[in-house]
Amino acid sequence: MGLISGTLLSSNEEILYSIPIMLLIIPALNSLTGDISTVLVSRLTTHLYIGTLSPKIKISERLKEDFYGLLITLLLSLVSLLFLGYLVGVISGIKIINPLLMSFIITLTILLLFFIMFITLFIGAIFLFKRGMDPNNFLIPFVTSLADFLTPLFLILFIIIFI
Amino acid sequence: METQDSKGKIIKETFPSEVVSIVGDLLAGIVLSLLILPFDSFLVLLLMIPALLSLRGNLSGPFIARTSRDLVIGNFSKRSWIENVLATYTLSIITAIFIGIFSIILNLIFFKLYILSNQYFITIPIISIVLTLSISVPCSTGLNYLAFKKGLNPNNVVNPVMTAIDDFSTVFCFFLTIIMLGVP
Repeated sequence: MGLISGTLLSSNEEILYSIPIMLLIIPALNSLTGDISTVLVSRLTTHLYIGTLSPKIKISERLKEDFYGLLITLLLSLVSLLFLGYLVGVISGIKIINPLLMSFIITLTILLLFFIMFITLFIGAIFLFKRGMDPNNFLIPFVTSLADFLTPLFLILFIIIFI
Repeated sequence: METQDSKGKIIKETFPSEVVSIVGDLLAGIVLSLLILPFDSFLVLLLMIPALLSLRGNLSGPFIARTSRDLVIGNFSKRSWIENVLATYTLSIITAIFIGIFSIILNLIFFKLYILSNQYFITIPIISIVLTLSISVPCSTGLNYLAFKKGLNPNNVVNPVMTAIDDFSTVFCFFLTIIMLGVP
């Protein structure tokens, strides 16, 4: 997945050279999606092990608390990322093209990924736990690779659509 | 610990670490866009960077999660930690070799850039991931232990902070490796 992501970035060199802020923010975007998803997997696994979440695919109060907690954290982090990214871009002299539209594209990418990840990871954690496997060992490598692949993919896709 | 976590607690514990993570990753972005971009072989090097960032996440993520789970459920011991570390290093080196081999194949299929010899494709990922893990493993263990001792949930705090340290050190160790090897 990481290599496919690298191939995707390398084969869109014109976007990287014309929107140089992409290279600056891609590691932060990848890790934001990866971090929130990793925290989710770790929490789901611990809940399943200590029995605060039953291994059934159904909406519970515990799941809702985790969903809203992580969604609000993601939104606050996104605002910080946009602010700090803009600041670092200005200080380091990296050209920022159409900051408002770029902020919209980044927000859209991150929110879409969060919903995809939350559903996939919840179902995946239950499925693995029921089969006696540790969801941490399977889902964290999966989610990191998926985030590293899907983040630049959606970002490039939305840049092509909107810019 | 996890049973009492409300959404307020999740935000309170995760958001500050996430801001640290963002700062670390923006520093990684600066290294990438200002230090690695000028290399002649940038497009080939860029092929490996997301894979190395993923590899770091894939291996140190479960390492951190297993350590924090052991601390939370009371199973943490020196022996389990050493086994965890050895497994992480072994998997890293094996996966780094595969990254090198697949990078050669992808370069031959898609880019056909012959600026780097095949030995670089293998040695760059191995050296940079070993350097990165040598920073990551002691840092994450210390942070996990400190977070747990301070009554914080390691699951919420350690991963985002370590992502920042790891992503920056991955890109920086990558930069050091290509300088050491004299990559064009």
